[in-house]
Amino acid sequence: MASLISCPHCGTRPKEEFFIRGDATPVRPALMAAEEVWHDYVHLRANPRGRIREHWQHVAGCRRWLVVERDNFTHEVFGVTDAAKAGEGAR
Amino acid sequence: MAYEYQAVHALDGTIGAIAERRANHLSVHRTTAVAMVLAVPGQTAEAAGILLSSGEFEARFSGPGEWLVLSEVHAPETLAAELSVRLGDFAFVVDQSHGRVVLTLSGPDAARILANGIAVDLHADAFPVGRAANVLCSHLSINLARTGNESFDLVVMRSFAEALVDDLKVMARSHDLSVDFATR
Ligand SMILES: [Zn+2]
Repeated sequence: MASLISCPHCGTRPKEEFFIRGDATPVRPALMAAEEVWHDYVHLRANPRGRIREHWQHVAGCRRWLVVERDNFTHEVFGVTDAAKAGEGAR
Repeated sequence: MAYEYQAVHALDGTIGAIAERRANHLSVHRTTAVAMVLAVPGQTAEAAGILLSSGEFEARFSGPGEWLVLSEVHAPETLAAELSVRLGDFAFVVDQSHGRVVLTLSGPDAARILANGIAVDLHADAFPVGRAANVLCSHLSINLARTGNESFDLVVMRSFAEALVDDLKVMARSHDLSVDFATR
């Protein structure tokens, strides 16, 4: 269930301890990238049903940014990684 | 550093002067030396080693490379400076002595009372003596540490102390709880 998230630093916690930022898949374009590329990055989201990757922040716990991979239809959680470890950082 | 102003506890006027201690007791510390320590990236093990090697500090896990450090040995006015000297270039230190309130909940129902507001497994096997964690208690983020089989320390931001005590009273409604300042 997505109502329980296993933080890699704090253990299993209720979703109320977290803030959800949204899709973790878009990659920040280069500073001088074309306007359409920036528009795409800032505004356009695919909103798929199924397996997704999201940025969650453990605000009431370690306050670290995490990447949660879960199914938004079945609520199954596949994995939780520290965003820094996931090689992304919270931008 | 000497403080010129008069120190007023966040809970002055809201608790105290109880007739008798009940089976479960919430003790609010008058003064506590507290500091936040954040290790420099890559220096977590060094900072942890320094904190753990000295019996003068109690380092409570707050996040990766981050601890809430309490001390019974050092005064609130000197703890942060002492930590800065010991930790050197391994960590950043920020005094929290006047920014946090420390409470101790003890008694046979301590874990049950906390379980009414905290969604973390507090069984002694899952949360043993010495373990600490930042957790959500009702709607407040606190640092919880198990200091004994039947006793826990709660560290809360000063301005939330009154709300936390109110919440704990509600959480303990079906248990016998008294609340007072610590005597020493
Ligand atoms: Zn966490």
